Formats: sequence, C-alpha cells, structure tokens
Amino acid sequence: MHTFLVVSAAIAFVFLVAMLYLAETTTVATRGYEAQRLVQQRDELRRQNSLLEVESARLDAPARIDAEAKKIGLVRVATIPVVQLEPITAKR
Amino acid sequence: MTETVSPRRLRAIFALFACATLLLTLRVGYWQTLGRGELLESATDQVRSDLVLAAQRGVIRDRSGALLATTVPLRSLYAIPKRIGDHEARASASAKLAPLLGTTSDAVLAALESGAEWLYLRRRLPEDTSRAIESLAIPGLGFESEPKRLYPNDTIGAHVLGFVNDDGLGQYGIEGKYDPVLRGIPGRLVVERDPRDRDLAVGLRTARAPLDGADLDLTIDLVIQTSVERWLREAMQKEKATSGTAIVLDPRDGAVLALASYPTYDPAAVARSDPQALMDRAVSWTYEPGSTMKAFTIAAAIDQHVVTPNTTYDDKGYAIIGGRRLSNALGKAYGISTVTQILEHSANAGAVFVGQRLGAEQLRSYLLGFGFGAPTAIDVSAEATGDVRPLAEWYPVDLGTISFGQGIAVTPIQLAAAYAAIANGGTLYRPYVVATRRDADGEHRTAPVAVRRPITAETAATLRTMLTSTVDNGIANGASIPRFSVAGKTGTAQIPSDDGRYLDDAYVSSFAGFVPANDPRFVVVLVLERPESRLLGTVTAMNAFRGIALDALRTARVQPDRP
Repeated sequence: MHTFLVVSAAIAFVFLVAMLYLAETTTVATRGYEAQRLVQQRDELRRQNSLLEVESARLDAPARIDAEAKKIGLVRVATIPVVQLEPITAKR
Repeated sequence: MTETVSPRRLRAIFALFACATLLLTLRVGYWQTLGRGELLESATDQVRSDLVLAAQRGVIRDRSGALLATTVPLRSLYAIPKRIGDHEARASASAKLAPLLGTTSDAVLAALESGAEWLYLRRRLPEDTSRAIESLAIPGLGFESEPKRLYPNDTIGAHVLGFVNDDGLGQYGIEGKYDPVLRGIPGRLVVERDPRDRDLAVGLRTARAPLDGADLDLTIDLVIQTSVERWLREAMQKEKATSGTAIVLDPRDGAVLALASYPTYDPAAVARSDPQALMDRAVSWTYEPGSTMKAFTIAAAIDQHVVTPNTTYDDKGYAIIGGRRLSNALGKAYGISTVTQILEHSANAGAVFVGQRLGAEQLRSYLLGFGFGAPTAIDVSAEATGDVRPLAEWYPVDLGTISFGQGIAVTPIQLAAAYAAIANGGTLYRPYVVATRRDADGEHRTAPVAVRRPITAETAATLRTMLTSTVDNGIANGASIPRFSVAGKTGTAQIPSDDGRYLDDAYVSSFAGFVPANDPRFVVVLVLERPESRLLGTVTAMNAFRGIALDALRTARVQPDRP
C-alpha cells in the first residue's frame, strides 16, 4: 500500500511538473505573440509619427509659406524700421 | 486440394524482406547518428527565418532644427495574380487600381497578366494612396514596407543634401560624403516561426540589434537657403543663364549658411532629373573669375607694401605686358587714378599695374595662400581643385591677365572662402556644412578650422574699406543696401573655348561681397554663366546679392550700422 502511494505521488508529481512546464511554455508563447504585436504597433506608430513630422516640415517650409502668402496678396516689406535702443534708454 | 508455395519462393520473399528491413534499419540508423545534424538542419530550416534588420538612416536638420531629410518606411504594393482570380476579376481590380496608381487600367492588367507569380505593382506609395488601395480589399494584393528617403522642402537645398539611390546609398552632397555615418550598421534576427509566420518566443532565437545611423545638424539656415534659391532662380530666369550658383558663408568661422546651384533637381525623384542638374556648381565647377580677383591682387600688393590705397598711376585705358595690350572694359581710360579707384572702376590696366609692382612669384604665392588651386576641404562630395598654374608655365602676359582674374580657374566656394578671409580680418577658414553629428556615443560638434592667415589684419581692414568704397562710390553701387555698409566687387569674365581662345559673346557674371562691411556677418558669392545681357549680367548679379544679403540680415536680426 505504501509503495502504491509513493508511486502514485511520484506519477502525480511528474504529471504536475509536466503540466506546469506546458502551461509555462504556452504562456511564454502567448506573451511572445503579444510582444510581437506590440512591437508591430510601436513600429507603426513610429512610422506614423515620422510621416506626421515630414508633413509638419512640409507645412513649415519657408518656400510653401512664401507661395501661400503671395496667393493671398501679401507682399514682401521693403524696409523694416529699426528702433535704436540707446536714445530710448537715455530718456528714462 | 491445397496450393503450396514452393520453399524456394518463400526464401526469396524472406530474403527480400530481410534486405528491405536491413536497408531501412541502416537508413534509420544513419539519420539517427551520422545524418542527425543534417536532418535537424532541414527540419529547422522550414520554421527558421534569418532576417536582416535594417538600420535607420540618420536624419538631417538645419541649424535651427528644421527637418531637411529623413527616412520613413513606405508601403509597396505587390500582387499575386493567381489569387486575384480569373481574367474578369483581374480586369475589375485593374480598373479600380488604375486611377489610384495614376496609370491606365490596361497597364495594370498587362502587369497582372504578364505571367509572373508575384510582382510589385508600385513601390513606396504615398500613405493616402496605400490606405485607399487597402480599403478596396482586393484579394491577391498585399503591402510590404520599404524605406524611402523624404525631403520635405522638395528641391530646396538639393545640392547640399545630395540624395539616396534605390540601393540605399548616399550620392552627392552630404548624403554622399557622410554616407557611412548616416547609413548605420544593419542587425540580424534568427528566429523560429509558426505556421502563421509569427515569431516564436520559445526555441531558437539569436538577435543583433541594428546600429542606427548618426543624425546630422547642418550649418545651413533653411530660411536663408530658401531666399538664396529664390533670388538665384529669378536671376537665372531673367538672364536665361545656362547655370548659376550662390553661396552664403559666415566669415567668422567658415560655416556655410546657404549653398545653391542651378539647374537643380528633386532629390526624391532623381530618376526624372537631367543628369547635368546633379552637378553642384558651387564646389564642382571651375571658371575664370574675372574682376572679383582684383581684390586679392591688391590685397597681396598692400600686404607686401608695394602699393597703398592712395598710390597713383596713369590709366590710359590699357596696359602693355609681355608684348600684349590688355584693355579696360570698353577701352575706357580713367587718367590719374588711385589703387582704390582700380577697384571702383574695375580697371584692368590698374590691376596689371599692381600685378607688375607685386611680381608673378608673389602674386602666385598669395593666390595659393588665399586657397586657390587647392580644394577647400568642404565636407560635401566632388569638390574641384581649380587651377593656379605653376610659375614655369606662366607667359609674361599671364602676370597681367591673372591680376584681373583671367587665366586662372577657381570654384565659387574657393572665392567665397577667400572673401571671408578679407572679411574676418585675414584668416582663411575651411568652409563646412555639418555642425553636429549625433550618434550612440553622444554629440560631436565640428570645430571651425583656421587654415592659415594669407594677409595681416591691417591689410584685411584696408581691403574692407576699399571694397566698401567700391560699392558706395564705384562700379558695384547696385549692391548697396540702405542703412547697411556693404563691401564687394563685380566680376565679368570671358569664357575660354576649346581652342584656347576666348569666346566673343559669352561671359560669366558674378558678384562677391559681404555685409555689414564694418562687422561682417555674411559673405555672399553669386555667379551666373552666360547671362543673356552679357556685360550687364553683373547688374542682375548685384540685384540678387542685395536681395540675398537683405534677407539674411533680416533673418539674423542684424541692426543697421549706418544712419
């Protein structure tokens, strides 16, 4: 009877260890798929971010702004008056 | 009646089975022992993938951080024609795809029915186009990501940037010169895959992460670069010139703020460009500069104390040297004139007078000192050397012609660097374009390189005054800017033909100068090849100089230095 119990316990233990190993392996594989999905998601977000940065740079391009300004009738200022700082500070 | 098998036949069958069993046992034994590795390799190959992980090419920005070039994975459209369906299905798919791809349905259908099992229909699609195609949900179509170099400012800065070819290699400009730095080092991933082609987290896995390329910050100012390209384009169109170039340098350290060449190209669509347009004329093109060189002849003579700004000579409209008569433009005689007036009138006879006082050996030595006849070592691809011939090859007349810039070949960047030396007090700096390189090791800033001092600070100051007078009182008055001191010199040079003579009706017009003359912040050189107005091409060059200089002064918020 004692021998039967020992053997049964050993079999049960081996079974449990095998089940644990299987569960662990399955979990690792599942997490691996999840990690892979997240990596793809990260790469896609980075790609979209890069595309948005390019679009932003296109919109900020001085040549584009110059062209748009011309379209709405703006002209380049001929002279820019500069206020000299010294006379103003001298009056204070 | 019972049929019996003959013992002989039984033995034969037994022997056959025994042999087959033996062979099978040996074969199984082989695969389990000696051939085990090979078998395992074959089995693993079916599930293993060995991928090259592409390194991200470095980003290029201007001095203010504005994006100039970046790499983004774009989607390429591929097709597996068999999966699309029969002829009707392919025709239907072609009709839907054609307008999105900007082609005809016949062309798409022809590609789908070319017999290929797998083919690209269009590579590196714009994002909105790929989304529109994806929404059609046509079976047998798919997307693959491929890196694409994008230049958000289109043609602006094309020559300084260069481009990246289909193999991912940088060509010309910064992309070419810094390709090994920008490209990075690809990584590798070996991993087992499941039947749905997903990476397995368990099992064989070795990985080496890619090392991304370095990011570069340039000395280029996008606002000034845009202004330079606009003024250069307008000058080119007005003069119907065959080519042109313009450079803006910071004379205080040699930083290139703008560099433009015309004709130009779109770095994102090089295949459609004229190959001639790829040449960066600012650094790869040499020409005989003409009168812009008089400043260096006079600088050398003043530095050697053989003349002063007030030294006089009698200008008869020509000079005789080496048995040849060298005339002023239009043969004009100026009478008793000072050395300052040589620059103000751009008198060839006067330059010959100064050249003779200086001597050929000294003149050549100073020209080399100012950096002519050798590459400036600017950090863009394909720099030309120019040509200052050895003294042994000079004819007596060459002293005269070289004194006013004929018989010598320079690049526009050499001329800009040499004018910067006059502007900054006599130090020749190496022009440079990359200000900072950022990689995994951190940030590396480019230190300005002072090459040598071709003239003293006193000589440089004297030349600044003389060149300012040339703009205020002389031939370069068209370059003057209200409330700013401007120094500069025009240049009109004849173009040598293949037979060694000069062409009668073709010139190179140029202007080289700096602002504000009293405390120079910008050196601007502008060159037009074969302007339609010939001798008057310098008027257009001066006008463009004025526009560029004024835009640069405004961008840098430089206060006027004159009332």
